Amino acid sequence: MKNVIAWAAFAATVGLAAPACAADMVFVSWGGTTQDAQKAAWAEKAGLSVLQDGPTDYGKIKAMVEAGKVTWDVVDVEGDYAVQAGDAGLLEKLDFSVIDKSKLDPRFVTDYSVGSFYYSFVIGCNQDAVKACPKTWADLFDTAKFPGKRAFYKWSAPGVIEAALLADGVAADKLYPLDLDRAFKKLDTIKKDIVWWTGGAQSQQLLASAEAPFGSFWNGRLTALEKTGVKVSTSWDGNITAADSLVVPKGSKNKAAAMKFIAYASSAKAQAEFAAASGYAPTNLGSPALMDPALAKTLPDQQTAKQINADMTYWAKNRDAIGTRWYAWQAK
Amino acid sequence: MAGVTRQAAAIGGGTGLAPGRPRRLPAGPFALVVPGLLLLVVFFALPVLALLLRSVTEPEPGFANYAALIGSGTYLKIFFNTFLVSAVVTLVSLAIGFPVAWTLAILPQGVAAPIFGVLILSMWTNLLTRTYAWMVLLQRTGVINKSLIGLGLIDAPLPMVNNLTGVTIGMTYIMLPFVVLPLYGVIRRIDPAILQAAALCGASRFQALRLVLLPLVAPGMAAGALMVFVMSLGYFVTPALLGGTANMMLAELIAQFVQSLVNWGMGGAAALVLLVVTLALYALQLRLFGTAGLGGR
Repeated sequence: MKNVIAWAAFAATVGLAAPACAADMVFVSWGGTTQDAQKAAWAEKAGLSVLQDGPTDYGKIKAMVEAGKVTWDVVDVEGDYAVQAGDAGLLEKLDFSVIDKSKLDPRFVTDYSVGSFYYSFVIGCNQDAVKACPKTWADLFDTAKFPGKRAFYKWSAPGVIEAALLADGVAADKLYPLDLDRAFKKLDTIKKDIVWWTGGAQSQQLLASAEAPFGSFWNGRLTALEKTGVKVSTSWDGNITAADSLVVPKGSKNKAAAMKFIAYASSAKAQAEFAAASGYAPTNLGSPALMDPALAKTLPDQQTAKQINADMTYWAKNRDAIGTRWYAWQAK
Repeated sequence: MAGVTRQAAAIGGGTGLAPGRPRRLPAGPFALVVPGLLLLVVFFALPVLALLLRSVTEPEPGFANYAALIGSGTYLKIFFNTFLVSAVVTLVSLAIGFPVAWTLAILPQGVAAPIFGVLILSMWTNLLTRTYAWMVLLQRTGVINKSLIGLGLIDAPLPMVNNLTGVTIGMTYIMLPFVVLPLYGVIRRIDPAILQAAALCGASRFQALRLVLLPLVAPGMAAGALMVFVMSLGYFVTPALLGGTANMMLAELIAQFVQSLVNWGMGGAAALVLLVVTLALYALQLRLFGTAGLGGR
């Protein structure tokens, strides 16, 4: 009798798990409003049954690939990680006979990845909370002219170090290789006035409550905050772009479906739809033509006049060394 | 009934086995432990061992990771932070928890029950939600600072978040039940007549507290304190959100190594240090107080 119950329970478990096995592939991203938009614009329209999972975790990717049990098929990762992981043998080469890369922004295409979306670190300011808003990185690092707390991205990634160097007077075309000593020295001057944000939602909370009335933010989060009625100003002066990438972990069991998914997600239509929902820029050069011109104007791809491209190849090579130093500096 | 006693003796380490009883321990209770144990071994012990092993094999065999961990001022500071925060949280939890447990123990059941309800209910609320709530309350533009400024009590907002104060407040609030519950159990078991006897024998209130009450409560306090201290050592979410980067604790460092820097060698080394410290504290607790304070008798 006991055995019967045990087997029935086992069968029920297997039965419940079956729909998961029936999906064509698994897509993984960072959660929140971004993944919601990716689900609506890409996953539900790619002609595949796509299971959502997350958040993206580089430790998990490495563990899966090493163990040979890869359950993630397409993952949204940071651009510098995509380059590094491709070189480290953690990713599948993309099949460009399925994915049309002729229309894709070449800045974000490698053998192992295509751009997922791209964003800018911009200077955001809560106009109700302060008399004057900082317009440049130099302003944001000037605590005499703009007293108060400023918000910056906490994790080691392209953005803050570049901002510090620009604020210190380094010319935009002379940024790389990054002068880390100089950057940290500049950051030291405002360290006690920095409030770190760990994710998009927190950055919005800090700005809206004026806990930090200005700082460096992802442009899409400012657009979203503005829609809720907060008086936010965005300065695109020296906006620093970085992109997320779509990659396929090595050993994915649904490679064909993964390539098909990426082909759709990077298409002009899918990219335009995602950009409209998220406030991030499309990585397909054909997308802006498909979008509402008023909306397209607010995206980073239209702000190239004073734009700085974070050098993903440089970051991929130096990611670990910079990260180790970055966290040590923060903890000091 | 006899079976229960025998099983209890077996669990107690077999020291109570009377001569004449079968020497072979009954398989029953152990069979019950096997599935749980197996689960722990396969899904906990083995992966932990695998990670720890990496600390001496990655990137190359040797103890370079440990040397890097101990040789760096930054990492030493993070170790120091971890112990400092854990100690402060433990002390504050005891200081607040003892009066609460005491009050609960002497209040009539009908009054104590709702207070218990509040205490337990707070444990059921999502940790992240509670931490974010503290953030909103404590920040410079938060409710507390705005009220104090509105009342004219302070001119500039008090820094209560992104520092040690924030971590201490947030973690003490989360740890409080773990101090109150064991203390309450110990205090309830004390016969009030003992204190009356102390008074009759001429003890002052202070003497009664120091010589009679405290020794009786000590195992409960030690159990609560150890539980809070050990849990605090490995805490991640609350310090990461309410503390500043200068208050970084070990768990956050490990998460950085494993997830962000994908440096599992260093992650394993830091994890081993944390594990060794925790086990050492546990061994100390067992030596000083036996299992008495941990719920056993």
